[in-house]
Amino acid sequence: MTIDRRTMLQAAGSALALTLTPATGKAQGAPFRIGALNPVTGAGSPYGSGMQKMILAAVDEVNAAGGAGGQKLEAFPDDTQTTPQAAVLAAKKLIEVNKVKAILGTWSSGVSLAVVPLTNDANVLLMNTSGAPALSVPPANAKGLSYRFQATNDRFGRAFAEIAVKEGYQRAATMAFNNASGIGNTTGFKKAWEAKGKKVVEEVVYEPNQSSYRAELQKVLAAKPDVIVMGSFLPDTTIILREWFQTGAKTKWIIPGWAANPQLIAALGLEATEGLISVDSVSNENAPSFKRYDALHQKVTGQPGASNVYAAMTYDMVITLALAMEAAKSADVAAINAKIREVGNPAGEEVFSFADGKAALAAGKKINYQGASSVLDFDQFGDVTPDFGVFFITKGKLERRYVVKI
Amino acid sequence: MAFWIELVIAGLVSGLVIGLSALSITLVFGIARFPNAATGDTMTLGAYGALIGHRITGSLIAGGILGAAAGALVGVLGYLLIFRQLARRSNVALLVASIGLGFMLRAAMGVAFGHSQSVFQLPLVRPWRLGEVPIQPNDLWLALAAGSALMVVFGVLYLTPIGRRMRAVADDAALARVSGISPDRVMIALWVLAGAVAAVAGMIAGIKTVVSPEMGWDLLLPAFSAAIFGGIGSPVGAVVAGLILGVAQEVATPFVGFTYKIALAFVVMLFVLLVRPRGLFGKLEGAR
Amino acid sequence: MEAYLVAILIITAIYVLLSLGLTLQYGLTGLINFGHVGFFCIGAYAAAILSAYAGLPVIVGFLAAIVLAGLAAFPIGLIALRLRDDYFAIVTLGFSETVRIIVTSEKQLTNGVQGIPGIPRLVDGVGILSALAVLAVLLAANGAAIYAFRRIVASPFGRMIEAIRDNEEAVKALGKDPARFKIQVLVLGAALAGLSGAFYAHYIGYVSPDQFNPLVTFYVWMAIIMGGVGRISGAIVGTALLMLFLEGSRFLRDVMPFISAVDMASIRIGAVGLALVLFTLYRPQGLMGDFTRRR
Repeated sequence: MTIDRRTMLQAAGSALALTLTPATGKAQGAPFRIGALNPVTGAGSPYGSGMQKMILAAVDEVNAAGGAGGQKLEAFPDDTQTTPQAAVLAAKKLIEVNKVKAILGTWSSGVSLAVVPLTNDANVLLMNTSGAPALSVPPANAKGLSYRFQATNDRFGRAFAEIAVKEGYQRAATMAFNNASGIGNTTGFKKAWEAKGKKVVEEVVYEPNQSSYRAELQKVLAAKPDVIVMGSFLPDTTIILREWFQTGAKTKWIIPGWAANPQLIAALGLEATEGLISVDSVSNENAPSFKRYDALHQKVTGQPGASNVYAAMTYDMVITLALAMEAAKSADVAAINAKIREVGNPAGEEVFSFADGKAALAAGKKINYQGASSVLDFDQFGDVTPDFGVFFITKGKLERRYVVKI
Repeated sequence: MAFWIELVIAGLVSGLVIGLSALSITLVFGIARFPNAATGDTMTLGAYGALIGHRITGSLIAGGILGAAAGALVGVLGYLLIFRQLARRSNVALLVASIGLGFMLRAAMGVAFGHSQSVFQLPLVRPWRLGEVPIQPNDLWLALAAGSALMVVFGVLYLTPIGRRMRAVADDAALARVSGISPDRVMIALWVLAGAVAAVAGMIAGIKTVVSPEMGWDLLLPAFSAAIFGGIGSPVGAVVAGLILGVAQEVATPFVGFTYKIALAFVVMLFVLLVRPRGLFGKLEGAR
Repeated sequence: MEAYLVAILIITAIYVLLSLGLTLQYGLTGLINFGHVGFFCIGAYAAAILSAYAGLPVIVGFLAAIVLAGLAAFPIGLIALRLRDDYFAIVTLGFSETVRIIVTSEKQLTNGVQGIPGIPRLVDGVGILSALAVLAVLLAANGAAIYAFRRIVASPFGRMIEAIRDNEEAVKALGKDPARFKIQVLVLGAALAGLSGAFYAHYIGYVSPDQFNPLVTFYVWMAIIMGGVGRISGAIVGTALLMLFLEGSRFLRDVMPFISAVDMASIRIGAVGLALVLFTLYRPQGLMGDFTRRR
């Protein structure tokens, strides 16, 4: 068989046509299009696929309940590669080619800061899970179209300080991964800690991808801290704690939950992880919405829902958006935007799923969606203030002792 | 004092990884005459090979052998499929092709093993104490592994006929060919050795840190520095330079900070190239 | 759709500037610059700092980007003269990594890893017209660069640098100093990369250190190797192919959903590797080049 230029062109043409007119499914009328723009590869890759899968799963859930505001949802997945340049082009493609009205699930602050001018220009909603404070205010959020489902790094730091006080620590040191999120955590901690009249005895900022962190550790340990507060990620935390244990030092650790997780325990074993304090925004674990999310997450990823807090956030994004559409009875972005706080914040019947919320709205009630990731009450900047769960690692299990409210 | 001794020990262990990878680079540079940028990804492959071997057999030694075999295999395949074809071309062509090979290896490992971290499941132990200074048993084991790898390489280079031929080619390729040394056999022996050494370096790095598809690339620049610092084509130089660089990086951090310590390898390399281009142990620049 | 295509064209035009710089350095002079992204980074940060922080007019940032990137190449050029070309490759790779480390560390100036957001756009306003205006400016810059390039190649200077590439000893024997020419070429290429960086900063609107990793350098290398080393048409065609390939993989997933995005990233880098190997092996002259004189 020979392939001549014409058949090649035809094949390419039909492939392109397929691309530009994706299967719209069984929706009646034009579906409401959303972009699932997640860090599937790059630094965010441990979370990205799960985030994207949960957006798709939540879209199915909404559609199974009859759609929102009289429309089905349709999601277009794409990858930010956790880099601003790739994210900008992906966002352009989603907005211009796929004609999405909302972009959900951008992850690192750099990516969200690069994408938000585009969504603002196109009057498209952006729901992110980034920590940088700059996203709350103009110019980034000049139009109020941007919502953040993750606690800011600053809030994490404040929670760390509350915990350190509650545990009676006096001499805190910090170690931060040199990126916006890592440093955000430890500077947030430092501010809150010093406001309580305490001192940070040593601060270290370290680089990723080192073959050893012993010099960094030694510098911190030389200050004889009783607790080390981390702004870190999984791989570097694994290496640092392994080296720390092997130096024989006996310090306490407060570590963000995305780093001190079951994978860390699996990597280091029971003895080295005993007594570590892991802090995470509480997924709203006792809420029925979390149970729904957890079951769905199990189904689509095979992992427990608690293993990826960001996936809970992206799930909530879809449900919140769909409820706002239902309340607005419209596919107009401005109308939907006006309803987001109305369906998410108090004064209203607490609802835990899209179907319940839809029913309550149909009955003419006001609703307050309680998310799987947090209770989801947005302040005037579009930020949420979740509660923070304090987990102690005991015998290889993450055991939640108490919850901190800030 | 104990503070500095601890730093030096940490530096020596890091230095072993740098030294072994530099050894692989310097062997290729000395004999095949180009800087092999696929060395980093060969290290990653060795780490994954050892990880799989360790998981299956439960023995680190068996894992190390499997990893080294994987590294050697990729070395030989790279030579047969790519580098032999380019033997008459400029070293730039070879360098570019080796970058390409490295990218392909990384891609294959990304697809095969995913991007989340893997770790060697080894028991962690508290250190022994020599006075003030904590000595970590795992460091000793890693040093032992690196030492045995070095002994094998130097044994092959200096005690076997093929090693003698390799050194002859490194000294003067034309003369060696005239004396009837088959370049193909020497080259295959070279790539087996270079691949296996890089793989062992990768395994040690993997045990010290975590294994991911990108790990080898991050270790490449210090390895190149050490190879140049030690003198291209000098196996002893590569190892010594690796150890010096490792120690220098750790000991310098209290002065230059944790970010600039990465740049140290580059500064050392630049300095050596400008002041003493043949490095610590290198001969004068040979013909290309 | 149109706006997306314009966006791709803008990014392509930015990369063509990078490719032209490298073509000047490697294609014409044989300088193996593996640190191209370092000059790109300097340009981007110069433009970002001066416009977003200092509030100076955009044109000042552009000039600074060109001048600073060119100046940074000067000491590198001095070093280059003393090194074999493969050593030079490694040194320049180290240079670009060092630039990234400096940008990461000097927080007062660069805001460190947080990056610099809110870099003003070249053309105000939203919609396709302003994007087209940006594209027009970029095309003009590319046109100017290409015009200058051709003038250089046709000039005695151009003949000299090609002679250096082909036979440096002969040039020395004629009593000419190849060193001076090499430095000049390196500075020119770096200045082009700096200009490209300024456009990049103003287009993306946000710079942070991790955008300037060595992969960018290798993308540009892949572009000129595919297109044909040493030819303007090669730089343009190669860059267009590169973009087609990088952006095309986005659409590939819509057509072939069974490939996960994670694998797609691996496949993307694997294909870059394969292209580098295959072109070196089977078509060293690239798609557009005759490239008979070297290798």
